[in-house]
Amino acid sequence: MKIRGILLPSTLLAAIIFITLPFGSATEFSFRDGGKTKHSLAAYRWILAQEDFLHYLGVSLRLALGAVFITLLIMVPTVAWLHLRAQKYRPLMEFLTLLPLVVPVVALSIGAQSALPEALQSNEYELSFMYVILAMPYTYRALDIGMSAIPLKTITEAARGLGASWIKAITFVIAPVIRNAVVASLFLTLALSLGEFTLTSLLHWDTFPTWVTSVSQQNIIGAIALSVFSLAAAFLFLFAIGLLTMRSKSDLPEGQE
Amino acid sequence: MSSATLEINGISRRFGDVVALNKLEIKIEPGELVALLGPSGCGKTTALRIVAGLESTDSGSVLLRGADITKVSANHRNMGMVFQAYSLFPNLNAQENVAFGLQMRKVAKGNRLAKAGELLELVGLNTQSKRFPHQLSGGQQQRVALARALAVEPDVLLLDEPLSALDAQVRANLREEIRRLQLSLGTTTLFVTHDQEEAMSISDRVGVMNHGRLEQIASPDTLYNKPATTFVASFVGLMNRLPGILTNGKVEVLGQNLSTLSSDLANGQVKALVRPERINVTQDQSTPNARVITRSFLGASSRIICEMHDGTIVQSLMTSHGSGMLNPGETVKLEIADLEVLIAHE
Repeated sequence: MKIRGILLPSTLLAAIIFITLPFGSATEFSFRDGGKTKHSLAAYRWILAQEDFLHYLGVSLRLALGAVFITLLIMVPTVAWLHLRAQKYRPLMEFLTLLPLVVPVVALSIGAQSALPEALQSNEYELSFMYVILAMPYTYRALDIGMSAIPLKTITEAARGLGASWIKAITFVIAPVIRNAVVASLFLTLALSLGEFTLTSLLHWDTFPTWVTSVSQQNIIGAIALSVFSLAAAFLFLFAIGLLTMRSKSDLPEGQE
Repeated sequence: MSSATLEINGISRRFGDVVALNKLEIKIEPGELVALLGPSGCGKTTALRIVAGLESTDSGSVLLRGADITKVSANHRNMGMVFQAYSLFPNLNAQENVAFGLQMRKVAKGNRLAKAGELLELVGLNTQSKRFPHQLSGGQQQRVALARALAVEPDVLLLDEPLSALDAQVRANLREEIRRLQLSLGTTTLFVTHDQEEAMSISDRVGVMNHGRLEQIASPDTLYNKPATTFVASFVGLMNRLPGILTNGKVEVLGQNLSTLSSDLANGQVKALVRPERINVTQDQSTPNARVITRSFLGASSRIICEMHDGTIVQSLMTSHGSGMLNPGETVKLEIADLEVLIAHE
């Protein structure tokens, strides 16, 4: 009992140190003034002074929003359909969505690119499709778990039985009920798309992460500041997911008959 | 509330190799509560879902007041359905849930919320109207689901094992409440359950299903006392299977020569099906044919378990007053109080 009492806080402390120490050190380093011990915002001012900073951030945001849009258009209805009408194909989908983690990115980039329509192959928006594929292992699971947590089929049938057309059932019942799962999957897509480097680089496109890599060779502290900025943005996204999907204490069941 | 005559005409449905329904025929009169009773997989829920429009048929038709609704989609059928559990919309509170069907019918907000309030009062939940489903207990959720189904004034109320997820006490209360509401509103109701006590206690008629077929549909009393088939006899209530010899339509069992209710069996060894309360246990020592194993006091009645000389176990249900002298180990005489019995294969 005593060992368990010590083990949990110790493990938690170790985990917190493991996660925060590198980030804290990098943050501290990014505020150093030209490598001296004095701290300033010089590196962050340098970032804002880079004329390409906003441009590449804009490119990444645009592509990430494209990926979010495709996820909303393809993944959400697909997973909802699997839950409502094609439960037996869920294991197959589970397997398919794991493939982006198994197939090497080099093979994936070439294979997926050749599968796209020719018009898209020479367009930077091909990356949005690639990001959707790369995010699939996470987005599928977020949606699947979210939809498994509610009796989607029963409540859809209840809505239909009460006179709702398919469109009204989706608008008034399905969409609000799966909102949290959808929001989580969209933020995961956004976060992954904003930080993706390997595939983008292999396909010779320039986005925010590839630009960060290239400028890091000119200004090491500036590069660290950029990394801190990217990480902080990712944390903010995760925090936003938490806020949007969090249930308040008052949601706990109280009614007892 | 409106009522209707619902006719299920020769409906069949297969799922792959499995025959879920095989030419099912049922007619429900206006204001009647009919229960479909049967073991798991007998096709009762499939039948209900076909009536609701949530499942398609391979053949046959569903008529509502004479109009064929077989191809009409679920949202245009005006049925009210209560599911097993967890069918309330989690994003809406109790009142909004009840008002949902009226919202789909474009009833003005004030009117639909007022009507939802009335129905919640009817099911005793007017003080819980602003609570969300996860803030309600299982029994309360099913009451809201019932109010929601009734709010649209359905032609037929469909109940798909609505009590199966509830504990015994709540189940018994809600069962009575469903019957009270159904009678007061006069709503034609089709109720699916695997619980025979539930079906027998609140239904006007009970249809017993097996392997996608309707074995018998009759009043609970007829079903219990005059089962049409051996399956119905064994599925509804307790039944002793006593060894007998069939000779030209008469069966000799426990030394008695009895008529058979229906039989196409050949002469020879058979089993006579007899209810426990139709077996008398007496202390007649002249021709004893069994021995008392246990006697369980149940209040007004007692259950006596006996063993016949050939090892057959027989159960009898007698008044506690009349069975007070029967003790374990005592030799006794078993007699059948019926003149006719149902017989089955050995």
